[in-house]
Amino acid sequence: MSWSWDHFMRFLFSDYMLHGVWTTIWLSIVAMVLGCSLGVVVAFMKMSKTWILRQIANAYIWVWRGTPLLVQMVIIYTVLPKVGIRLGVVESAIVALSLHEAAYFAEIVRSGVLSVNRGQKDASRALGMTWAQRMRYVIIPQATRVIIPPLGNQFNLMIKTTSLASVISMEELFRRTQQLAQLEFKVLEAYMCAACWYLLMTTVWGLIQKQLEAHYDKPFGPVSDSSEKKSDPVLSGQAAQV
Amino acid sequence: MTRMEADVVPAAPAKPRELGPPIVEICNVEKRFGSNHVLRDVSLTVRRGEVVVIAGRSGSGKSTLLRCIDHLETIEGGTIHACGELMGYRQDSMGKKTELSDRRVARQRRNMGMVFQSFNLFPHLNVLRNITISPVKIMGEDPARAEAHARELLERVGLPDKAEAYPSQLSGGQQQRVAIARALAMRPQVMLFDEPTSALDPEMISEVLDVMIDLSRQGMTMIVVTHEMGFARAAADRVLMMADGVIVEDAPPEEFFTNPQSEHTRLFLSKIL
Ligand SMILES: Nc1ncnc2c1ncn2[C@@H]1O[C@H](COP(=O)(O)OP(=O)(O)OP(=O)(O)O)[C@@H](O)[C@H]1O
Ligand SMILES: [Mg+2]
Repeated sequence: MSWSWDHFMRFLFSDYMLHGVWTTIWLSIVAMVLGCSLGVVVAFMKMSKTWILRQIANAYIWVWRGTPLLVQMVIIYTVLPKVGIRLGVVESAIVALSLHEAAYFAEIVRSGVLSVNRGQKDASRALGMTWAQRMRYVIIPQATRVIIPPLGNQFNLMIKTTSLASVISMEELFRRTQQLAQLEFKVLEAYMCAACWYLLMTTVWGLIQKQLEAHYDKPFGPVSDSSEKKSDPVLSGQAAQV
Repeated sequence: MTRMEADVVPAAPAKPRELGPPIVEICNVEKRFGSNHVLRDVSLTVRRGEVVVIAGRSGSGKSTLLRCIDHLETIEGGTIHACGELMGYRQDSMGKKTELSDRRVARQRRNMGMVFQSFNLFPHLNVLRNITISPVKIMGEDPARAEAHARELLERVGLPDKAEAYPSQLSGGQQQRVAIARALAMRPQVMLFDEPTSALDPEMISEVLDVMIDLSRQGMTMIVVTHEMGFARAAADRVLMMADGVIVEDAPPEEFFTNPQSEHTRLFLSKIL
């Protein structure tokens, strides 16, 4: 078996592969949007004053972070029908990925909200704001800065994690790669091709994430003499070595 | 410290003032944090237009008392009436109290302004938005009117040219004056100050105290936790001493400084003067 550029290039831009790429993209986006929405709900449940809501959130996070996504996905696809919940391949993949994401994003949101100085809560309460008004005008705008970087990392992970949906025969990039490889006996070419597409997707997202972070990491207000901006430990480490 | 007080004292006129009816009535309030009994049977009446200064050792419960008035803390016993309402609770005919909903309490707090030791301006909003956010978004005031009012208040606290600045661009003293303007923007009937100058560099203390003295002259009801006895002399109608959750002294300034009844007050004065 020798490397064939010819097969590699043919695979790379084949409609079959491109379709898989597209499926991976939309699956990632849909699962991310749903997962993050649910994650926000779980985060606020976990921060709630009501004991039962906190316990439900804790249990949710415990279970979903404590078991492999692969297992969750297979259970949702194969076991749920036995108890009368029948989900198709696509629905199962979306549900599994979203529920899994929610558990991680809940903790991200919670730490973002908790990172906002306690005095901000006091001040907004003293100004007569209700809980919802405090969240909307004071807490969330400040928490967003803290949430954006890990959110970006989660999306990067999500792009790659969608490949697990291949086990329930979701026709995304990884599954299509497997099939191409088997069909033409060109395993290396096919998987290199998949690697290239995943790398391209995560790289493009990386660029977008950088823009987002730059936007949200700006100090509040125009930059002045503020020396308070934290220096990047990695960069300053390098500077020290030079 | 004494130098700063000297700056503040001279302007003080003798001030027997017209005081209105009671506006804050604290009756037999009890507050615990776990096993820590922080307020013990505290009672205090403040009348409209009155300026009350509260002093006391660290941990004596001054901040807690102030926070209870605004219902930023719940209380375990007693009642607090402010601006004609029972703060934070509903009382049934048996006298049993149930905490009010978040929305009801939020509404009650709009009668009072509070200024904190650490300013607590909103760092993501500029000065103007810090001041107008509550009137516009919470009270539904017309934005143009709210802005005009905000600029007027900035004028009053001596910062007319800082409307567009962000909190991070201001000095501590300037931030605290903005915080005062922000609290005043709600047109409160009572102002609560929790050590408004303790976090400030000495040279900035008087700019904040001047604003507060000004406010007291305009008849604002104020409850001020502070150790700035120069302010107490200049503006207070009464000075209170707290120790271990109890008000141990409650006297007009002259009496407080010249003829203190409590051992705690004597000790405090000997340290500070
Ligand atoms: N949120 C809280 N949880 C638990 N204990 C608290 C809390 N806030 C205050 N305390 C305790 O209550 C007591 C009174 O605190 P408080 O802040 O009212 O004192 P203070 O007189 O304002 O002191 P300082 O001059 O240091 O501000 C202290 O023992 C403090 O540790
Ligand atoms: Mg205090």
